[in-house]
Amino acid sequence: MGLITVRGLVKNYESNGITVRAIRGIDLAIGRGEFSAIAGPSGSGKTTLLNIIGGLDRPTEGRVSVSGTDLGTLSPRELSELRLRRIGFIFQAYNLIPVLTALENVEYVLLLQGVDREERTRRSMAILREVGLEAEAHRVPGKLSGGQQQRVAVGRAIVSEPDIILADEPTANLDQKTGAALLDLMHELNHRRKTTFIFSTHDSMVMERAERLIYLVDGSVDSDRTRGAAHFTRKKPAAAKKRK
Amino acid sequence: MANARIAIRLAWRNVWRNTRRTVLTLLTILVGSAMIILMNAFAKGGHDQMIEDAVASNTGHIQVHEKGYWENRTIDYALKPDGALLDSLGKDARVRGASMRIHADGLLSFGNTTAGAMIQGVDPEAEKSVSTLHSSVLPGGRYLSPDDRKSIVMGETLAKNLGARTGSVVALISQGFDGSIAAEKLTVAGIFRSGNPEYDMALVLMPLAQADETFTMVGYVHSITLRLASPSDTAAVKALIAQKTDPRGIEVMGWDELMPELVQFIVMDDVSCYIFDFILFMVVAFGILNTIQMSVFERTREFGVMLSIGTTPGQVVAMVLVESFFIALLGIALGCAAGWGLSYYFQVNPIDYSDYAKEMAVWGVTTVTYPADATALNLSMTALITLALAMMFSVFPARRASRLEPVQAIRQL
Repeated sequence: MGLITVRGLVKNYESNGITVRAIRGIDLAIGRGEFSAIAGPSGSGKTTLLNIIGGLDRPTEGRVSVSGTDLGTLSPRELSELRLRRIGFIFQAYNLIPVLTALENVEYVLLLQGVDREERTRRSMAILREVGLEAEAHRVPGKLSGGQQQRVAVGRAIVSEPDIILADEPTANLDQKTGAALLDLMHELNHRRKTTFIFSTHDSMVMERAERLIYLVDGSVDSDRTRGAAHFTRKKPAAAKKRK
Repeated sequence: MANARIAIRLAWRNVWRNTRRTVLTLLTILVGSAMIILMNAFAKGGHDQMIEDAVASNTGHIQVHEKGYWENRTIDYALKPDGALLDSLGKDARVRGASMRIHADGLLSFGNTTAGAMIQGVDPEAEKSVSTLHSSVLPGGRYLSPDDRKSIVMGETLAKNLGARTGSVVALISQGFDGSIAAEKLTVAGIFRSGNPEYDMALVLMPLAQADETFTMVGYVHSITLRLASPSDTAAVKALIAQKTDPRGIEVMGWDELMPELVQFIVMDDVSCYIFDFILFMVVAFGILNTIQMSVFERTREFGVMLSIGTTPGQVVAMVLVESFFIALLGIALGCAAGWGLSYYFQVNPIDYSDYAKEMAVWGVTTVTYPADATALNLSMTALITLALAMMFSVFPARRASRLEPVQAIRQL
């Protein structure tokens, strides 16, 4: 059984009295430590699928399980707890809390988990060091570049060492060099920590680096391909750029 | 603890996120609460002054009568002063003065003119510690002295109506305690202007010893009038006297029973004051609601993210409420300081209407200076109500923030 199991997933939206069928029956199993990308054209249901897997949205039909727990049976509070303890989110627009510094943004999740101050600061600083932002720890997001903000967002997502990280178009607002560096970082974390990464993306660079590429068209899985892990080695940004 | 830390840290920084809006909200709370405090301080100071003026001019804080006197107010209801009671009251620090009085209605004649008068026999020295009429005697005349017998002082309007002046000899006709005719020729020693139209038009003061003789009182008096150091002691001193006297024969009345019309006026004034308070409180509350509402609306996406990464709805509510608490607390602190400062200024420099005293007297208003008095109760109640309203009015936007659907909230621009 996979870490994430999706069975008969359907999601319909009502928009101006018209039913929009965003997801039309998806079955998936994603294992621990996978580095997967969900790709497809706009409106194919990538983000909707990611949101449902992350417990941010409820399916119209079907079920999603994380480690055997059916998300449909959880209360909003239990879903909050699940997101807090087991899932990290990375958003396209970084979505950091603007009044908190980089360090505090990373600490935030640990603070919610009740980790004591010393431990919190130690772990958060270690993560910032890992994402190359130790020197920017006390800057607020407004004083950081887009790439730096997204690295803080990655730090926030991984600091509590969740099983799963869901990244919605994480490179969409970044230039190619920064995007490649961020992917290197996430890939390394995936290898080192065995954290499951699931991206929704348009970005061919992300698709090329994913070990598994799930391609959606009109809310259905069009193709689901797995590639050899050897395909991925850590590349320097220059190499990434050249390849592009 | 962690929840509290998050809520406090985020709330404090969010307060200063939009400085202009926070400053405007603080100003709303500051001006609103300062106005409430000042208005209530004027009400309290003005009412206390009215009570003090009324009490000091003649009524006193407490009067002791023969039972039934106040209802009938005839010469027949008189009591024999209890020396022991008077002694104990004289030793009581709460009692500033006690004066025995004889009251009678009569006719005063001067030349061909006759006018009705309220005669009040008083001990000139004791009376000085109870009423202020001695200081209202117009130049050219004088107040009663302990040696006086057939001298009187009378109100200015009464003197004018009679055509009498200082030194004039007027004739008094009344009824004695024993039913006999009380008649006396009395010399006007002085004329007073109390500012109270009723007193100025009819009140005549004569020495207690003379009144005892004229009205054949044989040692009886109609009232023992007490002036206290503080009106707040009225109930306690009243209870003490009631304890030491026979309730079947003696009535002990406080200033509020002696002047029910004044109490009624104060109650009516308080009601209008509360209405203004309510309006001002609502202005402040809606100011806070508007700020918090806007602040939450602007941060919809942020709340969506917070909820997505594991913040519970309860923690979101706490963050918004703490933010509101900080704004309200700051505004209240500033408002209380401003309200107290303004009140203190007007306590030291009361609003003075003495230039309009005559016009005001026509309407029965004898108080011409209106000081403010900001009490601790005024400050604490204003602060507490403002804070409570701020928190109540913040619950709606806080709940709205906590109930956001993360997916939709994150999409918000």
